[in-house]
Amino acid sequence: MEIIILGTVRGALYSLIAVGFVLVFSVGGILNLAHGTYYMLGAYLTFIFYSLLFHGGSSGILIVSAGLALVSVGLIAAVVYQVLLRPNIGSVTYVMVMTLALALFVGEVMALLFGVSGTSVPSFIEGSTRIGDVKVVNQQLLTVPIIVCVLPALWLFLRKTKMGRGIEAVAQQRVAAILMGVDADRALLVTYALSASMAASAGALIAPVSSVVPEMWLFPLIKAFAIAILGGMGSVVGAVIASFLMGYAEVFTSFLIGEHLSEMLALVVIALVLIIKPSGILGKMAR
Amino acid sequence: MKTDSLSSSWVSKQSPVGLAVLGAGFLFAFFSENYFYIEILMLAAVYGIFAMSWDILTGYTHEVNFGFALFVGGAGYLSGILNLRMGVSPWLTIPVGALAAGLAGVIIGYLTLRLKGPYFAMVTLAFASIVYKLAFILYDYTGGEEGISGLAPLTSDPRWDLLAVWSATAAVYVVLRTYAGSKHGHILKAIRADEDAAQSSGINTAYYKIEAFALSGFLGGIGGGLFAHSQMQVGPTMLSGYISIIVVLLAMIGGMGTIVGPLIGALVLSLLNEYLRVIEEYRIVVYSGLLILFIYLAPEGFANLGFVKKSRVLSSLILGERRVK
Amino acid sequence: MSLLEVKDLVKHFGGLVALSDFGFSVRSGEMIGIIGPNGAGKTTVFNCMTGFITLDSGSVLLGGKRLSGKKPYQIVNEGLTRTWQLVKPFFGMKVVEALQVPSFCRRSRTSGGTGRELEERIVGITETLGLSGQLWEEVDNLNQGELRLLDIARAMVTNPLILLLDEPFSGLSHKEIGRISAAVEELNRKGLTIIIIEHRLRELMKLVERVIVMNFGRNIAEGTPEEVVRDPEVIEAYLGKQGGRIGVA
Repeated sequence: MEIIILGTVRGALYSLIAVGFVLVFSVGGILNLAHGTYYMLGAYLTFIFYSLLFHGGSSGILIVSAGLALVSVGLIAAVVYQVLLRPNIGSVTYVMVMTLALALFVGEVMALLFGVSGTSVPSFIEGSTRIGDVKVVNQQLLTVPIIVCVLPALWLFLRKTKMGRGIEAVAQQRVAAILMGVDADRALLVTYALSASMAASAGALIAPVSSVVPEMWLFPLIKAFAIAILGGMGSVVGAVIASFLMGYAEVFTSFLIGEHLSEMLALVVIALVLIIKPSGILGKMAR
Repeated sequence: MKTDSLSSSWVSKQSPVGLAVLGAGFLFAFFSENYFYIEILMLAAVYGIFAMSWDILTGYTHEVNFGFALFVGGAGYLSGILNLRMGVSPWLTIPVGALAAGLAGVIIGYLTLRLKGPYFAMVTLAFASIVYKLAFILYDYTGGEEGISGLAPLTSDPRWDLLAVWSATAAVYVVLRTYAGSKHGHILKAIRADEDAAQSSGINTAYYKIEAFALSGFLGGIGGGLFAHSQMQVGPTMLSGYISIIVVLLAMIGGMGTIVGPLIGALVLSLLNEYLRVIEEYRIVVYSGLLILFIYLAPEGFANLGFVKKSRVLSSLILGERRVK
Repeated sequence: MSLLEVKDLVKHFGGLVALSDFGFSVRSGEMIGIIGPNGAGKTTVFNCMTGFITLDSGSVLLGGKRLSGKKPYQIVNEGLTRTWQLVKPFFGMKVVEALQVPSFCRRSRTSGGTGRELEERIVGITETLGLSGQLWEEVDNLNQGELRLLDIARAMVTNPLILLLDEPFSGLSHKEIGRISAAVEELNRKGLTIIIIEHRLRELMKLVERVIVMNFGRNIAEGTPEEVVRDPEVIEAYLGKQGGRIGVA
């Protein structure tokens, strides 16, 4: 029971992070190693808007701050894409190195501005809920309804809007999509900004329950990686399924064998999956 | 019919700039009394070894190794543990550690043969992370977070240390330039251009890729061992993503696939990093910001900039490429 | 006695039957064509023969020696090499450097050659193929037809007994096709055994003395170009019922 509830909460958070990562890969064929950085910026900007701009206040102001943070991260990501990535978007190496360098840089800037010990913000909703005999902090539970809203919204966007369908077309058949008049470049720009905002929303959600520290970008990046690999690098549906599987598996193994070993186990599984079936367990063969 | 480049001699392929830099380092090591600069130059030289060793795999095959720390830290830890627990001299532990790193290169190279692009990068990252985690799990041997300290220094005098490290740097440089200029380097370039076509030319591409991986690991391992003993300690940072990323950045900014570019890139940037200590508080921010700027300005690296390649004088001075026409 | 024996090749991709009991043989010095509609399994035959795809069953014998089961580079060293439908040049090198690559392996059958001997061989091959003018050019500067010739030249440096050409004319202009045709004819005249997959039937039929027609992974007809184009089964497989437009000019 405990595993199911805690695993669901964790899975919801992971899917919020991983879906954007996978979407960018499938549309642009690039690995965005700054993905965790957008998650981190989501948390930091929520703090900046809430504490430094509005000087605190009710949870309404906090939610407004979080909303502002999402928009700002989306804008920042768009600028990063346009200025730093686009000139060399064809080189997988360049994009990986550049985004990783950015991740380091932003981490150091945050350390400089707010110190390494970190900061934090209050919860959107206080208290905790009892489900059966398991107690869950409300703030963490909040990720579940949010993901229930975000995923269908994303689905609608990709299926029903012109932009969204363009993005899907580029992901599936890049050349054909371009020949059909889809602006692949703009599709990637929108996808990149959108995925950054989603990561930032996860960061904003997590900010109240975990401390906001400069090295917090690494953890979500590794998770997004692992989920993307398990779910098949190009598959959004695969990523969602893998997120929840991973949530349950992690909660389960950390009950059994402790945190360090379970992380180690996860890494070994990732390496093995990559070597044996690079397209992912749930993914279709894509070369 | 001119056929010079078919049988160009070893001497004509040398890079005057690369040799001059190495020579200057030797002069400094012989004559300088300034222990502060000696320490700094030693560190820079070690990074030079890392960047060059990384380059022989990634620069020549374009498969990005994002887990180079595995070779550096793995060899560093192994030689540190052998030295501290068994009292073996650094002059033996460093080669042993390097051999182990070379062996790791063979194994990882074999396992990743089929992988390309992002998949290759990810799996190298995953392997390095596994070993990083191991450093914490095998607490009894590695000292966990603290690492292990009190390793024997290379020699009793920092000046001799620098001379040893610099000799190793020069040796690695010569070995890699020779390797890259030989049929082995040529084959790696062919594999980079098209692996199927290389196989259809009768080349056992798997063998050459693994060979490059092993060489990269072995020489990187030598660097790791020297690093450990010159600092007289090893810690988990040596295995961390930070080392991997820095090595990638240094080599890329210098200019992948040239050996001389990564060497000079690593030396210059490491010295720059030390120089930035005057603004200690902002040092890392400014340094990483500069690295981003450099990558942005010269994605192919400074040694591969268009005007360097096109100019006959510059390309022969820096890259050691003589034109036939 | 035939130089190459291809017997009962079988290959499935999942549920799809790519090759079923496909076979043929080639005499030394022959130049033959393999034709068939799209998806008939022509390129799969080449991929299986050269070891890039493992066979489910069947065998490939070169001069009585079994090739099937060996790795691609080993098969090249036995004397069977190929080109691809899409050219696969070694970009970033000079033509002369690209042509040295095949000499870098320890070959079991032929002398790879070094120094003077190799240089003369490379120069000889480029002269035969009409590529000697581009010897010192960067590969990146070659046009599509020259890249195709470079692929063939690279294959020739491996000193093959048999050369497999996968659609050597595809994507080329009329003039370029003429250049490739002349080069291929010259190689065959010097004694090389050649197998060509091609869609441009008009140009192919002028070159080859025998044609094998494939459909659904099987050998449905075999004979001289004249015989094959009159075969009703071929006409049906190739052109549907209306038939009759395979021209041998």
